[in-house]
Formats: sequence, C-alpha cells, structure tokens
Amino acid sequence: MNEMTVRRTVLVACAFLALAVSASAQVDLTGSYQTRMYEDYIERGPGEFMGNFTGMPLSDEGRAKGLLYTSNLPSTYERQCLPQSAGIFQYRPVGFRVWSENNADGDVVAWVIGGDNLRNDIRIYMDGRPHPSPNALHLAGGFATGTWEGDTLTAKLTHLKTAWIRRGVGIPASDDTVITLHMTRRDDLLTMVTIQEDPHYLTEPHVVSRVWQWNPRGTAFDRPQCNTANEIPSLEDTGGVPHYIPGQNPEETYMAKMFNIPQEAAMGYAYTLYPEYRKTLKGKYKPPADCVSRGPGYCCGWIETQGRPGGAPNLTCNDGGFGTLGPRGRRTTAESN
Amino acid sequence: MARRFALVILALTLTAVTAAAQARGAQAPAAPPTPRAQAPIDLTGYWVAIISEDWRWRMITPSRGDFPSIPMTLSAQKIAEAWDPAKDESAGEACKAYGAPGLMRGPTRLNITWLDDDTLKMETDYGMQTRLFEFRTPPGNPAPSLQGRSVAQWIVAGGGRGRGGARFGAMKSVTTNLRPGYLRKNGVPYSDRTTFTEYWDMHTETNGDKYIVITNTVNDPTYLQAPWITALHFKREPDGSKWNPEPCDVRF
Repeated sequence: MNEMTVRRTVLVACAFLALAVSASAQVDLTGSYQTRMYEDYIERGPGEFMGNFTGMPLSDEGRAKGLLYTSNLPSTYERQCLPQSAGIFQYRPVGFRVWSENNADGDVVAWVIGGDNLRNDIRIYMDGRPHPSPNALHLAGGFATGTWEGDTLTAKLTHLKTAWIRRGVGIPASDDTVITLHMTRRDDLLTMVTIQEDPHYLTEPHVVSRVWQWNPRGTAFDRPQCNTANEIPSLEDTGGVPHYIPGQNPEETYMAKMFNIPQEAAMGYAYTLYPEYRKTLKGKYKPPADCVSRGPGYCCGWIETQGRPGGAPNLTCNDGGFGTLGPRGRRTTAESN
Repeated sequence: MARRFALVILALTLTAVTAAAQARGAQAPAAPPTPRAQAPIDLTGYWVAIISEDWRWRMITPSRGDFPSIPMTLSAQKIAEAWDPAKDESAGEACKAYGAPGLMRGPTRLNITWLDDDTLKMETDYGMQTRLFEFRTPPGNPAPSLQGRSVAQWIVAGGGRGRGGARFGAMKSVTTNLRPGYLRKNGVPYSDRTTFTEYWDMHTETNGDKYIVITNTVNDPTYLQAPWITALHFKREPDGSKWNPEPCDVRF
C-alpha cells in the first residue's frame, strides 16, 4: 500500500465518519404543523385586552411606543401585514409548514418555515454563509443561519423589518431585533423557543416557548399571503396615522382595572416576570368577581370565540351569553358530556 | 483500485473490532454506567421560571371560571365553576394546585440535584414541593401522591455519542400515580388517571445564558377532551440567593 493510497483511505474514512456524525445530528423537520393555542390563548385567539403588556421586559421607549397604539392603527395600508411578520409567529393563531431546500448533492442548504403568519418565509441557511452587512435589505422574514445542536436546530434571525412583537396591543420590535430560535421535534410535537433581543424596546431577552403538532392538514385553512384593503374610508388618502397622544391613552389602565392588578404589573417591567414580584402583588391583588357574574368578554376576549373564525379548537369557554362551546361547535351547558 | 480500497476498509474495521474485543476480554466486566454518569446534559443547579406567558393565570390566582386555553370537559368545567378555596383549606387540601402538572406552571424556582446515582431530585420554593425522577424504578406500585411517580430516561441526541465534543440530549419523564389536583390554581381539575409526560431540553446561548425548556403533555381521560400540550422555560441562576420557600397558598 503506497503512501498515496493510505492517505486517500484515511481521508475517505474521515469523510465517512464526519458524514455519519452529521447525519445523526439531524432530524427531519419537514411537514405541516398545527398550532396548539394552550398558552397565551387570549392574545393569539380572540385578541388581547388593551393595555396588557404582562410578560414583557419592555424598555421605557418600548412602553411609550406601545401606549401610542390604537386598534385602528393596523387598518392603515402600510401596517395591515405587520402582524404577519416573521418575528410575531409565536403569537399568531395559525399553523406553518417546514421544508428543506437541497443542492444537487442532496445536502440541505436551508430549512424554510412558511405559512400565512409569515409574510416572507423564514429561510434558515445551513451552508455556513455569513450574515450580511447590517445595512443590507431587511425583510419581513429576516435573514437566518442555523446549526444543529444535537436534535435541536438553532437559528439566528437578523435583518427583520420593524414590526410588532405581540399583535393587537402594539408592543414594538425594531429592525435591530435579533431572534435566536431553537426548534426541537419529538414525534409529532415541534417545540419552538424564541429568545428575542432588541436594543431599543427590550431591557432583557424576551423568551417564548410554544408547541406545534404535526398535522398534514395543519395549514389547510391558512391564507397564503397577506393582502391589504381599505378598512377605514375616512383614512383614505389622508396620510393620517391613528394614535393616542402620549399620556392620553384611555385604554392604558384597562387591563389593570379588569384584573385588579397594580398598573405597573401590566406595563411590561422586566421585574414583573420573576417569582419575587409576587411579594409586591401579595396584599394588593384581590381576584375580581368571577367570570360568570362579570359578564361577556371577561374570559374569552372581545370578539371571536370557539366555533367561529379564529377560535381555538377543542376548548371550552364561557363566551358571555352565547352558551358553552365545545369541540363540535356551539353547545349549551345543559348538554351532557 | 476499488478492490484494494474495500480490502483496506475491511481490514481497518476488523482490526478495530478485534482490538475492542481484546480490550474487553482483558478486563473484568465493568458495571454499567449509572444514569448520573450517562447524563448528556447537566440539569442540576438553580433555575427560575420566566413568566412571559399566561402571566395572569400563573403569577396570581385567577378568579373562578377564568379557565380559557385548557381543553377541559364539561364535567371538569362544572367542577371548576364550583371551586371554593375555603373548602380546600378546611379539607387540608391547600396544596392541590401544587401537584406535578400544576406545579410546573407555577411562579417558582427549581433546585435540581442528584439524590443518588439513579435519582434526580427537583425542589421548588413555590409550595415547597419535591419531585423525584427515577431512572431505575424500584418494583411495586406506590400509593398515589401529589407528585406521583416520575420515571425518567435520557435521550441521547445525535453528535453526543462519541468521545470528546459537545454532548447533546434530553430527559424524558413520565409521571403517573398522581392524586387528583388542579391544573390551574382556580380549581381546574385533573384526575388520578392523569399521565404527565415531560421532555427536558437545555439550551446554552452564545452569551452563556442557559435555559431549560420543558415540553409537557397532560393526558387525563377523565377531565380533558384532548391532551393539554404546553412548553415552559426556566433560566439558570448562579446560586440559590433568591430561593424563597413559601408554603402552599390556596388564595394567592
């Protein structure tokens, strides 16, 4: 065996070894996934209570911008699709599809997450390319690179357009936001963890973990893209931007009053996210009257409920006078199990 | 050329297999590694729940009937609508919302340690509860309890099997033998037929932050219409300086 043959053999053996390790470190993420809205249901389904920034580590600037928001703002043409930006998918009520883009040798060049909640797809490049200059084009889907860490695909998402972090209450994200995404699939469950940093609007990383369930019909009812239409005729051609004047938002205290919590608890201060904040709440918090006596809208948000568009599947809920709704649609409380 | 290459590969493989067999034969049979030694991830330490989701259902006790997002049956709904905290207190059931499926969604810190080589211990300051994750389950069926019996196993992920380099994986635990309890503090029930499955993943960020993310499935044929599937996240803390034990509290 000459030296050249030995060297070639060693190289081939190393290549086999590398291939084996690399292949074993990948999980096939391909498929359609259906949302399971068992967390933040009000936010993702019927729509959040105004003035609810709970769970957010907002900076003063982020809080101030959030309080300028009115429900009419997304009716302007240029903002109608912002709730469908990539950075907001953890708060949307719909599913998505995942597929791979491969080169001629079959190697995965990118994993792609697409769906009606993503105005652009999130394309996670796996070929080691660098992120572009900070001044490069920003897209609704951003620019992402990924690596496998065991069975978890970890991606870094940059170059996102300015959008919202949560839909419906105006919590902003800047175009300097960076999202780290961890995707872990186990059987038919896909856990998505996002750790979002924003130098302008957040004081610490905003962490969200969600679960989707593989389902071949998971995206069957989703709209393929976001379209804009004139929703408020009086705004047409005026250039007007609906907003509240700083300090004059009449909905600022809505959440706090509804649930008898201190105003600061609803305003997205980072310290309200941790268990020790309960010391502050204790003695100040008194549970409001129960849902039944409180009337419509208290438990389920303010518009859609089960059995109607946007309602979560398989949930029961007091819908404020329409009867108790179950997985088959509308039911009455008299109906037995 | 091709034949020579195949022969070389075969020879290398045979040599490796023979050497490994000789090495094994030369030594006394080694005891199998303990679950503690096999751990692909280190879950030990102090961890804090970040209540960035479902804040008003987790940080405070919501009012009666405030139970959207749990796929409960109508019979469960009726029970929850009749929830009376005073009754739980007088019945000595103040910890009913602190059984494993409810406890993990609480505003808590975790202190995870190895009780022995086969058992991982998790303590919470919220409600001062202890869960044990048994990698080697003793025979017999213990009496139902608040935390039940949690049988654990490691899932070693790709890339973590060889020597050197990073190790990846997760812990899977399946908890049964639970006494009835509450999924939410305002009386949403789960039954003694509940199975609580958890996948524990750990993520280390580029800035050194570490997170445990637990993907949970609660199956209860009595009170749930469908499995209740959620994910929780905890952040690593450097020490236990913020550990704040507080007993079970029905009302707050």
